Amino acid sequence: MRAPGRVDPLIADVSLQLAAGERMLVVGPSGSGKSSLLQVLTGVIPFSQNLESSGEVHLDGVEVSDQPVVQRSRRLGVVAQDPSAAICLARVDEEVALPLENHGVAPGQISGRIDEALARSDASALRERVTGSLSGGEVQRVALAAALAARPAVLLLDEPTSMLDPAGVRAVRRAVDALADEGRTAVLLVEHRLDEIAGADGARGLPERTVALDAQGRVLASGPTEQVLSEHAGTLHDGGCWLPLDSELLAITGHPGGLDSPAVRAWLREQSGAVAGAGVADPVVFEWAPGARHGDGRSDAAVRDRGADRAGWPHEGPQGTDVLLSARSLIVGRPAPGARAARGFARRRRAPVVEPVLRDVDLELRAGEVVALLGANGSGKSTLLLTLAGLLPAGGGSVTGPRPSMVFQNPELQFLAHRVRDEIAVGLTGGPDRIDEIVDRQLRRHRLEHVADREPHRLSGGEKRRLSLAAMLAHDDRPVLLADEPAFGLDRRDTVATAAAFRREAAAGRGVLFSGHDLRFVATVADRVIVLADGAVAADGPTLPVLQDAHVLRRAGLELPPLIAWLLAEVEAGAEIDAEAEAEAEAEPEPEPEAEVALPGTVRVLRALYAAGSTSPRADTADDPGARKAHQTAPAAPPPASTPSPRRSEALR
Amino acid sequence: MTFAAAPIPDSPLARRNPTVKLAVLFVVSVALLFVLDPVTPTAIYLLGLSGVLLAGRLPGRTVLRAQLPFWAFAFGVFSVNVLSRPGTVLWQEGLLRVTVEGLTVGAALAARTLAIGILAVGFVLTTDSLRLMTSLHQNARLPARPSYALMAGYRLLQLLPGEWSAIRAAQAVRAPLRGDGTVRAGPSAFGRAAFALLVLAIRRGERMAQSLESRGLGLAPRTVWHPVRLRAADLVFAGAVLGVLGAVIGAAGMLGLLAGPGVLF
Repeated sequence: MRAPGRVDPLIADVSLQLAAGERMLVVGPSGSGKSSLLQVLTGVIPFSQNLESSGEVHLDGVEVSDQPVVQRSRRLGVVAQDPSAAICLARVDEEVALPLENHGVAPGQISGRIDEALARSDASALRERVTGSLSGGEVQRVALAAALAARPAVLLLDEPTSMLDPAGVRAVRRAVDALADEGRTAVLLVEHRLDEIAGADGARGLPERTVALDAQGRVLASGPTEQVLSEHAGTLHDGGCWLPLDSELLAITGHPGGLDSPAVRAWLREQSGAVAGAGVADPVVFEWAPGARHGDGRSDAAVRDRGADRAGWPHEGPQGTDVLLSARSLIVGRPAPGARAARGFARRRRAPVVEPVLRDVDLELRAGEVVALLGANGSGKSTLLLTLAGLLPAGGGSVTGPRPSMVFQNPELQFLAHRVRDEIAVGLTGGPDRIDEIVDRQLRRHRLEHVADREPHRLSGGEKRRLSLAAMLAHDDRPVLLADEPAFGLDRRDTVATAAAFRREAAAGRGVLFSGHDLRFVATVADRVIVLADGAVAADGPTLPVLQDAHVLRRAGLELPPLIAWLLAEVEAGAEIDAEAEAEAEAEPEPEPEAEVALPGTVRVLRALYAAGSTSPRADTADDPGARKAHQTAPAAPPPASTPSPRRSEALR
Repeated sequence: MTFAAAPIPDSPLARRNPTVKLAVLFVVSVALLFVLDPVTPTAIYLLGLSGVLLAGRLPGRTVLRAQLPFWAFAFGVFSVNVLSRPGTVLWQEGLLRVTVEGLTVGAALAARTLAIGILAVGFVLTTDSLRLMTSLHQNARLPARPSYALMAGYRLLQLLPGEWSAIRAAQAVRAPLRGDGTVRAGPSAFGRAAFALLVLAIRRGERMAQSLESRGLGLAPRTVWHPVRLRAADLVFAGAVLGVLGAVIGAAGMLGLLAGPGVLF
């Protein structure tokens, strides 16, 4: 398949075969054509999109290559990537009834089939709901139910869990497993969040077969999931894919077995600095760098160019106590129906009518700190951020501080210009030279130089997110950055880039407040977390202690990923022995900002994992810890089976 | 103005067959096109307003708010006619001139706008979109594909106000401030926001269409879960409304108040 006028195909030579009752996973870095592959199967390509394609599609034993989407829908169920666009009707039961009506199910049976489909996607309670009032996660469950309702022979799922909380992810997995157990339906799953959908079982919890695509849209590997993920862990990891934890640890450490393996545990402990004399540097400023770490890169011109590598840990810096943004007894809510939307930043309206979601919110954001806002779906995270940004009127209380900046969950909402370069320049003040300088700096920092003249709407999902962040951060006069779900739906590479950008901005003296679900991301970048539950702030404190509080996590519907749980149990418990020494270190005033400061071991490990490229995928070459470390600290030659060189040079720039 | 995104509350008017309601609305509107005196459409408007309020069991506030655009349009039509229609001069001051013909025709057209407006508002506020489409599909033999496409489009429209405020908010964050701290929002910012909304709506519409197709919309034969039937009460409703319309026009004619398009010339 290729786009008109382009020589390189989008996907090429992809063959796959799926039997009834089989589950198959499609993995690949962003832009590798995973969604396009599904569209070829549904018939959207070539029937609705102008792309050249060749090849054959057989469904349920019938050749359907020349059948349009509607005809193929007799045997196909589809959950598309953007779930909100999949909902067309006003009520949930009507929405699920639509495919049944279309397939000519007798009216008397429809109600029972709706119940069956909703029960399978764990959405029975939503049956009577109005679709407009559903949260993102609920919409995804309804979309899954609608796809299951007609009992398709083949079910295609394009990132069906991107907005779900842990309970929702389990429901999707149960639904998929139940279908496979019945043995009538084949399931093809495209997913980023492999670790979550795999659950506690690791790779065994994933679909039994996997097709891995490379960046050029060709099949990298195909076969049993465990085999594909273990043989190609390094390549996929360096290509920017998220892998299940076991495979990721295999890629990074070279040891199989995940957290149960003594070798992996030893590696993690070593990274945490718990091993005496390990001499691991604090990765305060870290960067995506497959196969290489610039631990010694402080003298490197490229690193200095980032301008923000002053490795001050927040509470150490001179500006560490500057409160940038503070809220007092804030009441947060959406404007009540009939109330007019707030206009702009100035809060001039005296007593706006809001339906409160959160009450009595007191919070502070200090310079140099990264704070995460946690809470279940619908707990008011986005509303709070909008209120802090001055975009929604507060129902009471006050927000004080300079004008903040904010990046939204959907970056397309923010785009104003027709070129990436112009987009970054929107709203900047100063002479043309100064604006050009800022734009060039932002393009470079956020890896957007190669698309500088493209139309923002035509970028890939990850590039759009980077652009919205780059454009917002171009405003140097805004000390506060608010970000709504910045890590949502990003592949590994862009997640790491976002994390790095946050730490960089904090090191440069900004305060960052972001909402999120991904506790690993949160634990890696955030100094402090604020947990929302039951319409109020349930906890506000340093990240690791709050994450160790089981009661708070339960109230907020959060679950610790196994890696974080293990690290908290092992590393932090171990660290208590050295607590005295650490406390001393913290109490001592740091003479130099660049001096090594005490970073919790868990955070050290997590940042090391983010920054780490793969060692060779074969375990035998990386058994000696010394060799491994040398490999990480020096920009060693890339392992042979790794990503193509353009990506690498780009990342190291 | 927001049209009901929530379910339609039950009322005698809400229970009527949507196709019948639409047909009645159409007939009344066409009939009013030929009435050009101010009294008849005003009477229809008042009867329509009370009918919508009583039979639709709608709060007065909601109905009044929904009518605002029609009031604005009626005022525009009235003032254009009053100031520009030639005829017997009633009052003149420089270039401004008011004529008797202008007043009558202007009032008639304004009252017609309001009369059609209140019936349209009554229709929209008491009609569930899915029932309308099912009914058009069943009773008016509209094919399934266009009816559901319309409905998806209708839902897209319902989402637009939310998208619009989100776009404006996202753009306000980066917009430069005026001296008093408010966001500088000129026509160009408005235009850019409108363009962003258009792009978003097109992309979302495309995805919705794909989603409807992938759920088999357009396969035959298809069934209907909750058929919308034509009942005797629907015919009584249509007869009653058209009867009242006839009676009002007839009474106006007997009283000599009725005027046709002739007054325009």
